Amino acid sequence: MSDQNIIEISGVEKRFGTFTAVSDLNLDLKKGEFFSLLGPSGCGKTTALRMIAGFQDNDKGSISIDGQDMADIPANKRPANMVFQSYAIFPHLNVGDNVAFGLRKLGLSKAEIKTRVAEALGMVELGGLETRKADELSGGQRQRVALARALVMRPKVLLLDEPLSALDKNLREAMQLEMRRLQQKLGITFVMVTHDQYEAMTMSDRIGVMFAGKLAQVDRPDVLYARPCNRQVASFIGGMNFLQARMVGDGGGQMDVDVQGFGKLTIGVNPNVEIHDTDLLVGVRPEQLEIGAEKPDGYDGYLQGEVSDVAFYGESVHYHIRAAGLDETLAVAVPNYFHTVDHQRGDTVWLGVQNASVIDLGAREHQ
Amino acid sequence: MKLLTRFPWLFVYAIAYLVFLYLPVLLLPLFSFNDGTIVAFPMKGFTLKWYAGLGGQETLLQAMVNSLIVGIVTALVATSLGLFAARAYVRYRFKGKELSEGLVMLPLVIPGIIVASSMLVLFISLGLKPSLTTVVLGHVFLALPFAVSIMKSAFDDFDQSLEEAAFDLGESIIGTFRRVTLPIVAPGIVASLLVTFTVSFDEFVLAFFLSGNQPTLPVYIWSQIRFPAKLPNTLALGSLLLLASVLLLLTAEYFRRRSTKSA
Repeated sequence: MSDQNIIEISGVEKRFGTFTAVSDLNLDLKKGEFFSLLGPSGCGKTTALRMIAGFQDNDKGSISIDGQDMADIPANKRPANMVFQSYAIFPHLNVGDNVAFGLRKLGLSKAEIKTRVAEALGMVELGGLETRKADELSGGQRQRVALARALVMRPKVLLLDEPLSALDKNLREAMQLEMRRLQQKLGITFVMVTHDQYEAMTMSDRIGVMFAGKLAQVDRPDVLYARPCNRQVASFIGGMNFLQARMVGDGGGQMDVDVQGFGKLTIGVNPNVEIHDTDLLVGVRPEQLEIGAEKPDGYDGYLQGEVSDVAFYGESVHYHIRAAGLDETLAVAVPNYFHTVDHQRGDTVWLGVQNASVIDLGAREHQ
Repeated sequence: MKLLTRFPWLFVYAIAYLVFLYLPVLLLPLFSFNDGTIVAFPMKGFTLKWYAGLGGQETLLQAMVNSLIVGIVTALVATSLGLFAARAYVRYRFKGKELSEGLVMLPLVIPGIIVASSMLVLFISLGLKPSLTTVVLGHVFLALPFAVSIMKSAFDDFDQSLEEAAFDLGESIIGTFRRVTLPIVAPGIVASLLVTFTVSFDEFVLAFFLSGNQPTLPVYIWSQIRFPAKLPNTLALGSLLLLASVLLLLTAEYFRRRSTKSA
């Protein structure tokens, strides 16, 4: 990944009739970056991708790829290629002809085309399958052919529209790692659209989270998880307990807050938050709460409550705790270290939280 | 089979229905082999002379050629129009789409005699004399609903991102149509060509009104039926046409099924 921008999107807007699909989109993507647009369905992420590809015109703003304005350049002349959600494998062509489809327009010799097709198929581990028919491919193979067909064009940018959503869980996870490795090896910029937060987190250098046509936050996966800019982003990525809090003093990047249930804590000011106020919303990740039958040592805030629900996930156990003075139950996730479920419904338990685990989400009124 | 024992009357009804539907049609080929000019039982003996006699009749052959020309031109025009219309109907939303689809399908329900007489009036007032050209125009009108509905089913299963993928890979709009759209809907095109050809080839009412002094085969057959001596000849010809129609439609159905399966 370099500091050089490969895609620059500024002030882009797209309307369908009275519906605004994408509004005021500003985004710079770095050369060699794996970038994901993450959001619920209908948030405008696919529209944004299709505008980069050239399948949709933007009503306002500009998109440039590698320094060149794309306004008058149709999809077939753009240095970007796309992997479609349905893979769009040409059913009347075999694997080799599918991959060679775009090369035939480049005026290459037959031998050259053959070499590049073989090379691309090798890259996606389908070497030697040139003559396989399209309808004889498995889901995973179709995905690889779609990838090879786009990569063989040596695009500056590869666009991926929910590329793994049609695969079953195990295959999807294997492909996530493989695509990430491939992207790092080739150094091509990948822009992926997905609604799967885990997929976005495990594969991307940076993630842009979109809601209702607007980009809410663009950051590295770990920063998004630790410092989400508001409640919406915080609840879309990972689990989160939300608590009301009151600011009682601040200074030097820290603030003293009185958190519902847990009492006085000193937490870091979240730089991604736009508006602060005396009435704050804070969040705590379920896996960062300590739970015990006895009051645990070494925590900054405590709360006593009753177990209202136990959910066994295999790798972890989730407890839901109801406590006096809290509107909603708190979720606590405990890793399954010793194959034990330590607390049952109705048990009285202690929760402990550390200052560093409490995430400032800004003014409560602006959520 | 369980159904049969439980509803024996349903079985009887089905058989009666099939007999009523197909027995008259089967009599046609049967009597075409009868060695006698009267179409009635008992039959006199087996002969192929009525078939052999077909080759020597010049007006008949001319009518056959006329029908072939009209059929082929009709099939090509109706299928081309149907191809583009169907793609638009399946792919795009536009004002008046439903009205337009309804109008295209209308010929299926308008009485042929009404269409035929009004077309005759129209063409004559336009200075267009009844000829094979006017028959083609009439037949295209009649065959279009078949072409559109066959092509629509071919496009229904056509994933739009296939065309986008081709365009994205650097192909032009025309190239995309040629290299992706056409080959994928090709079975549908063949099915449509065969069906529209058959529609035109078998059509009588429009051809009767619009063909002037260039009769198509059905018009010729009708003119022959009035002469009892020529009836067996006509039966032989009709049997051949029946066979050809069935074969064409079976082939068309094969291609139509392939077109909905492939995409």
